[in-house]
Amino acid sequence: MKRLLLLIFIMAVAQIAERVNAAGISVDAGLTPAEDRWIFRTQMRYMRGKDDPAPTDREMEMYAFPVVMAYGFRSDVTLLVKQVTKYRKMTMAGSVSRDIGLDDLYLLGKYRFYRRNTREYTFGIAPTLALELPTGDDDFTSDTWDLEPGLFVSWRSGPWASDLNAAYKWNGFADDGRAGLNPGDEISIDLALARQFSIGGSSDTSIAPVLEFSYGHISPDDLSGHDVSNTGESLFFISPGAKFTRLSFILEALVQIPAWQDQKGSQLEQGTRFIIGARYMF
Amino acid sequence: MRRIIYSWSFMLVLACCIGCSTTDQGPASSVVEGSEIRVYEVFGMDCPGCQGGVEKLVKKIPAVQDAKADWKKKKLTVAVRPGSDLDDEDVLDAIRRANFTPGKRIQ
Repeated sequence: MKRLLLLIFIMAVAQIAERVNAAGISVDAGLTPAEDRWIFRTQMRYMRGKDDPAPTDREMEMYAFPVVMAYGFRSDVTLLVKQVTKYRKMTMAGSVSRDIGLDDLYLLGKYRFYRRNTREYTFGIAPTLALELPTGDDDFTSDTWDLEPGLFVSWRSGPWASDLNAAYKWNGFADDGRAGLNPGDEISIDLALARQFSIGGSSDTSIAPVLEFSYGHISPDDLSGHDVSNTGESLFFISPGAKFTRLSFILEALVQIPAWQDQKGSQLEQGTRFIIGARYMF
Repeated sequence: MRRIIYSWSFMLVLACCIGCSTTDQGPASSVVEGSEIRVYEVFGMDCPGCQGGVEKLVKKIPAVQDAKADWKKKKLTVAVRPGSDLDDEDVLDAIRRANFTPGKRIQ
């Protein structure tokens, strides 16, 4: 209940805000507020694990509610904090278990290394460095400090926009997790393409179809120098979506369709994921 | 869980209503008669959200009465507060702090 009240409070603060900025939907590294301005983003993400290769008939459903605040510390430096609340429902051999709690706190810094704005195009390169702290609830925390260096590249020309985000997540860079388990490192690459269409002839409102291509690879967990079975996977999603922009407000939705996936051992396959959310800049 | 989803969805709908009902008249309709109007080129804006970012920072300049950007035309229109002396450099600096690149002053 306290978390719900906190979310309501943050949303209420956002209501008095004015305008917002743009980027991809499934990645937060693209959020770039102007100097001394904030961007607030909240989403609801649904994901599902299915097609159990083992005879246990497992199924997993998860709802995640990320809340992101990005701050323009300087015109070339963005600071971002993300807290995700998760709800997970596991079904196995007819019995159901439900968990709800906070995921680990995620902090990210982005430095605009290069940006060229011209009449014809805009091009930017920004390295990022993120840190995930083991602050989450028992059912969701990785129990390790995780470091994630990355690179964000953006290109704009007229109504066309594209963002490329690549990151390497070094899980357990400073310590081991529970019972000496070292979670596998992760690679993620996301390419987002969008095209703006103005609505009503005004420059204040637009709608943009979005297409994202996302590749993710998670290495197997490590225990005393040996890979842990049934851990590690590779995924490739093709994700159509749309953004509706009205001044500082953006409504966004994305459907992540698994085009290819490779799970180690008897892990569940990933089903189609759904994202819906909103952004403000104030 | 359903209660959380319903509450979150309700807030989203509320946010949509408020976000979509926001209007921005801009200098053309809000400026008192006799204000000086200046127009600057701005490069790097790519969506309606970018307009808001630059407008907000430019409006913080005391000598600016109002400001309206247009991402499609790559222009920023500024209404100078009557009796004030607006330094162009202050406007150009605000454009840079909004992460954009100022071009030339065209009016």
